[in-house]
Amino acid sequence: MGSRDSAHKPLIRISSLSKIYREGDQHHVVLDGITEDFYGGEFVCLHGKSGSGKSTLLNLIAGIDAPSDGDILIHAADGEIALNRLTERERTLFRRNHVGFVFQFFNLIPTLTVIENVTLPLNLMGKRNAQKSAASLLDAVGLGARTDTYPDKLSGGEQQRVAIARALVHNPRFLLADEPTGNLDAETGESVLTLLLRLSRSAGKTLVMATHATEIAERADRVFHIDGGKLILHKG
Amino acid sequence: MPRLGQSDRYNSESICTFIQVKWDNIGDMRNLRTLLRLAWGGAWRRPLQSLFFIVGVSIGVAMIIAIDLANSSANRAFTISTDAVVGKATHQIVGGPNGVDESVYLRIRRELGYRKSAPIVEGYVKVKTLNGQPMRLLGVDSFAERPFREELGTAKIAELNQKSFSAFMAEPNTVLIGANVSDEYRLAIGESLEIQVGSYHHKLRIVDVIASEDRRIRRSLKDLLVTDIATAQEVFAKIGKLDRIDLILPDAPSKTEVLERIESVLPPGACIESPDARRGAVIEMTNAFRLNLTALSLLALVVGMFLIYNTVSFSVIQRRTVIGRLRAIGMTRREIFTMILAEATVLGIAGAILGVGLGILLSRGAIGMVTTSINDLFFVSNVREINISSPTLLKGGLLGIAAAAIGALIPAFEAARVTPVSTLQRSAIESRTRRSLRWVSVAGVAALLLGAGLLLPEWHLGLTFLGVLAVLVGVALLTPSFMRGFAALAATRWLRRRLPILGNMAIRDIDRALSRTSTAVAALMIAVSVIVGVSVMIGSFRITVERWLTDLLGADIFVSPPAIANSQMAARLDPDAFKLFETFPGIAQVATARSVEVDASGMGRITLSAITRDIAGEKRHYKSALGNHAETWDAFQSGGLIVNEPLANRYKRSLGDTITLLTDKGEIPFKIVGVAYDFDVRPGIMMYDVVYRSHWDDPHLSSAALFVQPGVDVDEKIGALKAALAGKLELIIRSNRALRANALAVFDRTFSIFVALQMLAAVVAFIGVLSALMSLQLERTREIGTLRSIGITRGQLSRLTLLETGLMGAIAGLIAMPTGLVLATILIYIINLRSFGWTLQMQLQPSQFTLAFVVALVSALLASIYPAWRMGQMQPAEALRTE
Repeated sequence: MGSRDSAHKPLIRISSLSKIYREGDQHHVVLDGITEDFYGGEFVCLHGKSGSGKSTLLNLIAGIDAPSDGDILIHAADGEIALNRLTERERTLFRRNHVGFVFQFFNLIPTLTVIENVTLPLNLMGKRNAQKSAASLLDAVGLGARTDTYPDKLSGGEQQRVAIARALVHNPRFLLADEPTGNLDAETGESVLTLLLRLSRSAGKTLVMATHATEIAERADRVFHIDGGKLILHKG
Repeated sequence: MPRLGQSDRYNSESICTFIQVKWDNIGDMRNLRTLLRLAWGGAWRRPLQSLFFIVGVSIGVAMIIAIDLANSSANRAFTISTDAVVGKATHQIVGGPNGVDESVYLRIRRELGYRKSAPIVEGYVKVKTLNGQPMRLLGVDSFAERPFREELGTAKIAELNQKSFSAFMAEPNTVLIGANVSDEYRLAIGESLEIQVGSYHHKLRIVDVIASEDRRIRRSLKDLLVTDIATAQEVFAKIGKLDRIDLILPDAPSKTEVLERIESVLPPGACIESPDARRGAVIEMTNAFRLNLTALSLLALVVGMFLIYNTVSFSVIQRRTVIGRLRAIGMTRREIFTMILAEATVLGIAGAILGVGLGILLSRGAIGMVTTSINDLFFVSNVREINISSPTLLKGGLLGIAAAAIGALIPAFEAARVTPVSTLQRSAIESRTRRSLRWVSVAGVAALLLGAGLLLPEWHLGLTFLGVLAVLVGVALLTPSFMRGFAALAATRWLRRRLPILGNMAIRDIDRALSRTSTAVAALMIAVSVIVGVSVMIGSFRITVERWLTDLLGADIFVSPPAIANSQMAARLDPDAFKLFETFPGIAQVATARSVEVDASGMGRITLSAITRDIAGEKRHYKSALGNHAETWDAFQSGGLIVNEPLANRYKRSLGDTITLLTDKGEIPFKIVGVAYDFDVRPGIMMYDVVYRSHWDDPHLSSAALFVQPGVDVDEKIGALKAALAGKLELIIRSNRALRANALAVFDRTFSIFVALQMLAAVVAFIGVLSALMSLQLERTREIGTLRSIGITRGQLSRLTLLETGLMGAIAGLIAMPTGLVLATILIYIINLRSFGWTLQMQLQPSQFTLAFVVALVSALLASIYPAWRMGQMQPAEALRTE
């Protein structure tokens, strides 16, 4: 369980966050002024129907998308980062340095081998010993023997394990996962989820996960439901 | 005996079913409208790709139409003007360089009483009053004309009003012009036309205008002046001579008898020939030139087919899910096939329509270039308008549509293979591409062998060009294998570890999308290798000609009468001018040449230069000669001929053979004592002046070459000669440097159209690369979203695109260099030799290859600017949402 001690500042602070999509004259409010804090090391689950705004919220926290209104503050070692005030380039660099993302469709780069996919974030950061870090993480996810394999030779579960290693390799501030088991069978999904939770917990990372699966929610520290653009606490 | 495996059986069955389905459904396409609507929707959803497709087809079609229109207009102009002056003549009596004596005509009319004969004196004149326009001047005998050129209006000369007729008949220097010329230049009866023939100027008074209802006649009248025969004889200084006597011979059986009777009164130097034969020979002379142009004009469409293949292939892959759904709801394979083909055909039709319009526009520029080349190289031609022929437009348009349909065939088959349960996977196509790579390479090698088979033996020139195409297609088919080899090299662990991550990604992206990247690279490679091949050929040719001219033009000053075109046989050099040169201070020696056309047995009209000395001297390069220069010259002075290489090659004559020439003393065989390198397109011979004069009754000179005394300044001497002749005689007096520069200017002009054509093909290749990049980028939207979400900046993405296209350009450039060299070798040692009979020395300049590589690289990089920019603009959140 992550720390929610009032002495500790929240890792992610969201206030009055809105996201509105415009389609012609129509305005479609996906997130409607939500305010919430996420703390270091906790596992937060986001529930909701398709199109309720789970992925949008993750994208906003990751800096992949920009909010229509409101603030997202990230507590970093050298102060707070107001994500909504960053330029596009700054947001890109923020993602590179602070965010680990696991997607539903794995989204591995098909032209890179397993180890190259994992080292990619480190290479982008200009870190040395990328190979070593990546290799040890691949060992941890049980794919130490498949480093030179291309993604299309891996099963879905294996691909997602590589994606988890890629999300963790650069020691991000937090992890975001968008339906990480949504494209896997139940058994594989369970093993991938267990791996993701084990690694994120052992590294002390905050994990915010969007999912439909109720059984995953049981393992979360807090569970939110998104409905009508609002974030409603269900558990925790 | 091996048994057919389960999977093989399945494949065989599905192929059989596929074929059966296809054929069963013929005639059952009631839903064509639906298919067309789907096809149109497909094209409309990718506007930029569809636009590239249309532009690619249209440039290809435009080039074909422009060149075809220019060629056919030049031909038609020649035919119309010749037809008009030939009229109803079935035969012509022609003589040697000095024509036929008019006494021959009188004998035919008086002694034989053959009335269907008409004397003609004709030639080209420069009409100063009409802005220096060249026109054909036709001198006729109005009493003999009626049966011959009624359409032209010359028969109506007798019907002119009394005053005009008297003036035309009785007064010297009177002329009839076409009504359209009179209208265009606002010339009234009674006004004068100033004309120039060689050094001489004349004034002709307009006594009437000729009008015609016939469009062809009106067109021919645009370039025609009609005078009485006596005026024409005076203008061309042919007093007592005729250029030809037109005859209308009866049909068999009396034809033979009439022919024999007429032949009995002909002098030894005259003969009877058919006007068609002469006209055919003139047109045939330009055939090789036109075929070379036509071949190059097809290049853009060939390159365009790669673009078409790429665009359609991409559209199929992009719609694989939709195609799967259409199959699931009951669309047959044939209908899917038809839908894809219909889409390509609809775009092909749009491209063809645009191409026809563009072709007509371009043809206006092309006709100017083609006419200039014909005037420079072959004969005087005055083509002033484009003859827009529907068959040409239809042919070009249909070729464009056919190219679109053929380019779409393979992707359409791919689409038809989609089954409702397993939609066509992107990776499946690439896997199939990889699996079929061996067969594609085998086809490539087969195409190369076919090319060699068509190129090495001497077939018809058209087949030789097909051989060039086969070689290019062969290399294009081997391109994917080259690219795989390159990717395999880069994939070695050693190199992989050392390359930056973006470098690795770029190489593998190219390899992964091989089915598309290889077609773009092949298209660019073909365009660039043609640039290398043609520029090496032109460069080699230019250097060869320059060296040849430097050696050939041994004299210091060259003098000739003004000519209408570079190809025109030089008019007569005034004898007074020759006398002046011989006695002019500072001139050590004068060499003269008489250039005429003579009849050679089995060759038709060839050019003959009668020379007093070889101005090239020991520097003349013989392909083969009787002995050393002195021995060859001795044999030449003793009556031998030196033939040029085009003649030797075209008519398969070599040293020691004889050529029978029709001299004023009858047919006489002459022995070939030397075959000299020459870069004239026309077959020609050289004869010693004394030998020429002894066989032909021709006292005239055409040009002179002067050697100045040692220490005399050539330019000063030219100035002095011009001053001495000022106001008396108009002559072109040039230093050997100026003459060489003029020859090279003609050379450059001739090749400018070839350069323009290859540039247009390169534009199509450029569009091909651009289209391929756009396709690849659209396909990778999700991947780009992932990269952006893990922290790749816009700049890095742009660099990745530039790196990929740079690599594609570099690969195209690397393959294009040896291919271009092969092409240059073929152009120099096969095409040029067989088209024009020239032996060129290949001159390789590293700059040509470096430039080609840079062109490939830069065009690929330029093509990537827009896709790179678009990639950067892509919102990661949206990109990730893309399915």
